[in-house]
Amino acid sequence: MSNQRQASSASQTPHLSPAELSYLYTSLSLPGSPIRPDGRSPTQFRPLTAETNILPGTNGSARIGFADGTQAIVGVKAEVERTTLSADTLDAREFDPNHDRESQEGSAAVSGHGSWVQMSIEIPGFRDDDALPVFLSEMMRESLVGSVGADESGMAGGLKGRLVINKRWHWRLYIDVLLLSQPLSYPLPLLSLTTHLALLSTKLPKLKSQGEEDPFFDDDWAVAEYLYPRSSSTLKKSPSQHVRPPVTLLVISVGDNVIFDPNREEIAVADAVLAISVTRGEGGGLKLLSIRTIDPPSRLTQPGIPNSENVNMLGATPAEENALTQATGEEEVSGVWRPRRGGVKRSVVANMVRTVLKKGGVGEEVLEGLEGVEVV
Amino acid sequence: MPLDTSTTYPLTRLRLDGRRWNELRLLQAQISTNPASSGSSYLSMGNTAIMCSVHGPAEGRRGEASGSAGSSGAVVEVDVNIAGFAGVDRRRRAGGSDKQSSRIATTLRSAFQSHLHTYLYPHSTISIHVSVLSADGSLLAAAINACTLALVDAGIPMPGLLCGCTAGMSGSASTPKDPRSDELDPLLDLSLPEEQELPQLTVGTTTSVPVGENNMDDEGEETKVAVLNMDSKLHFTYIETMLAVGMDGCNQIRELLEGVIKESNRA
Amino acid sequence: MMADRRRVNGPSGGTRPAVFASLAESGTGVSERAQRQRQPSELRKIFLKTGLIPTASGSSYLEFEPSASLAAARINPKSLIPPSSALKLACTVHGPKPLPRSAAFSPNLVLTTHVKYAPFAARKRRGHIRDASERDLGVHLETALRGAIIAERWPKSGLDITITILEAEDDRWWADAPDSHDASWGMMNVLAGCITAASAAIADAHIDCLDLVAGGVAALVSDEEKQSSAAPKLMLDADPAEHRSIVSACVVAYMPARDEITELWLKGDSSKASLENGDKRSVHEALLDGAVDAARGAHTVLAEAVRESLLKTVG
Repeated sequence: MSNQRQASSASQTPHLSPAELSYLYTSLSLPGSPIRPDGRSPTQFRPLTAETNILPGTNGSARIGFADGTQAIVGVKAEVERTTLSADTLDAREFDPNHDRESQEGSAAVSGHGSWVQMSIEIPGFRDDDALPVFLSEMMRESLVGSVGADESGMAGGLKGRLVINKRWHWRLYIDVLLLSQPLSYPLPLLSLTTHLALLSTKLPKLKSQGEEDPFFDDDWAVAEYLYPRSSSTLKKSPSQHVRPPVTLLVISVGDNVIFDPNREEIAVADAVLAISVTRGEGGGLKLLSIRTIDPPSRLTQPGIPNSENVNMLGATPAEENALTQATGEEEVSGVWRPRRGGVKRSVVANMVRTVLKKGGVGEEVLEGLEGVEVV
Repeated sequence: MPLDTSTTYPLTRLRLDGRRWNELRLLQAQISTNPASSGSSYLSMGNTAIMCSVHGPAEGRRGEASGSAGSSGAVVEVDVNIAGFAGVDRRRRAGGSDKQSSRIATTLRSAFQSHLHTYLYPHSTISIHVSVLSADGSLLAAAINACTLALVDAGIPMPGLLCGCTAGMSGSASTPKDPRSDELDPLLDLSLPEEQELPQLTVGTTTSVPVGENNMDDEGEETKVAVLNMDSKLHFTYIETMLAVGMDGCNQIRELLEGVIKESNRA
Repeated sequence: MMADRRRVNGPSGGTRPAVFASLAESGTGVSERAQRQRQPSELRKIFLKTGLIPTASGSSYLEFEPSASLAAARINPKSLIPPSSALKLACTVHGPKPLPRSAAFSPNLVLTTHVKYAPFAARKRRGHIRDASERDLGVHLETALRGAIIAERWPKSGLDITITILEAEDDRWWADAPDSHDASWGMMNVLAGCITAASAAIADAHIDCLDLVAGGVAALVSDEEKQSSAAPKLMLDADPAEHRSIVSACVVAYMPARDEITELWLKGDSSKASLENGDKRSVHEALLDGAVDAARGAHTVLAEAVRESLLKTVG
């Protein structure tokens, strides 16, 4: 248990036999049309139910449940906080005549700071400082704060910029993610989609003070503004023109195939696992925010024993000529499972990213699907 | 904030949220909310919302004193998690175990360990996971009710529904009760602002399932107190009133929960 | 944030050396940003030596060459604040050793990575308990190494890799506002160093690997005052202290013999950036190729260090 917790791939490798793993790998790596255990197409997601604004005590909240019963609840809370510039920055400004003071002063107040967004993930069975929750929250936070919004959309400077109230005050955003049951598969897609919806439904009270005054807000919750602004209905913009929080997709490659939203069995035979964060860019296209490799659990599986090495089968099968793989000097027998070794080719990574980003690709499909969820 | 109960209540006889002294908050519940667990439930009492899931009875974890502890019956494990966004202000220290959640967990564990028919499942573990999504008073009582529903959903035998409710007094109640002028009323099902300023107790009661016709009428006598928790200062003369009101609340809740269970069976 | 209750902690705010106004005003350029002196594809020199810690089964020490301005400032100090910092880290490998009795059976070598900044490693003091970014680094390192180690040759065994960072890369130039590029870009350079050092230490511990895995960083930087005026340039092994802003960056752990990547970490919004004309690749592919080139450079140093350590044990 302790070593499983340490591992980043701690999606609890299912106890599949080498023969099952090999079968699964072969069917998933069929050229052109992989056969998935649940009959989905390679780019199809698992069915899910979603609802937003379920908790009255939060600024925004969402719940997503997958059909297999894993559920996540995300609550977003915002607090007003005083902006402090670090002391050394101020001092350097004061003493340095070379600096263009106008352009630099209070630049934190304009562009915001990544640490204003705090994220914590609660997974049953894990402590909150275990590797998996920490890794997941860093991954999702990094793409959230990393996005630089377009100027015309009212989100200049991305999420960070939106949190600025004035030069001395800002919002601090707490995103708490609650997984309600032990993860049956790597929980990243679930958590990312839920966070996306929760942020979309997040509202901040309307500011009544102006300029550099200490902020005070309208008591009327009905006039509160969305954190991610919606264009007013008079403009009749298409929904794809809205600024939207990023989503992180889990992509695996098996053989030459690229497969999305893998379940627990599929991820166990993956050659490479990538988490790719994308969001809507200007002009409706997709933009890439971050890529991270995730340790594929296939490296931890147990190898199968080919008949030629099996003592029980001695003499039962004719010795076959097997090609030695050059790198390891070990035999690769077809139909016998070997834990994955080594890494991933650059071309494979490029292919996976292309599948996500291309026009009409999976990234767009997911974002469109999320846009279909009515956010109240 | 001048709106505290102890000043306005004597004038209006209405509590902060407009209830009378013996009214429960709106209780809504649902069972089988999470197909991934053996039993699950969602329960809201006013603005307190709790999700509970039960796993088991299942084989206990390896290496964990399996010899002596579990041989006589199942071991109940309770894990309480109060979400960071549950309260009005976001809790600084998210996750982990704080005092409040570990106290609730201990109380729930001891209550259900003795309440359930654990002797039917030797060498096994029943683990209960409680997530508090929104906290507005009566946490322990709401958690007891949510757990009961989830355990019913999981099909774990128990002699009756274990229901919890809070009761308090509408003033500090530090002087002995005066039978002639009772200006202090007992209050049922406290919300968070009331809980913070008034003396209160949590009571959990259970009944045996009536067997045969003759048991149908004298149900009340079968009521047993399973949980009683109070940590505020109060003159002892008031306890009896509070307890009576709390137990009455438990009976009301029991009817509501029975309705929920019957409703879900019909669906 | 967890408070460390077992030790007497330093003041939470931290203190800095004084900057005297007269010094700054004299125009000697105390607070002048260091400029990158290297070519875009030129790496900093790396010092890597194995076997320095006799009690560990394998160990290594890695140091990046300090930038030119830092070297100058050390010889002829104008200010008490060094203009930039250079990476220094030590890596130890313990094992393979039997797993504890309580652990579950594992058919493979169980890898544990532990990355810790020394309290004095960065300009801001770090606590004694690993924080989120250190744990995050540990996971990245584990992913990078697990792909390279042939784990099934040591069933039921564990391998502990501990890295202590003695001096960390800055995330930005010290006098910049903390927001000018507030993502922790220095962490990426640190990770690349960790990968290279850990690889050397594993080789020093005589653990079978597919290849020596080396870390490399490439970044898109813009040095212009106005971000939009010029296209950001691709720089290998970028030192965040030398650039006005970093648009996006990428770390890889790369095995040259198999041309494979075991760890990839790319971040930053590069949607507005475009490469110099004539380059048909998309930005992320260019970054990836750049990081691989940097890793190839680090690999030559790594191979040399491992050869040295081998000769030492044979001789």
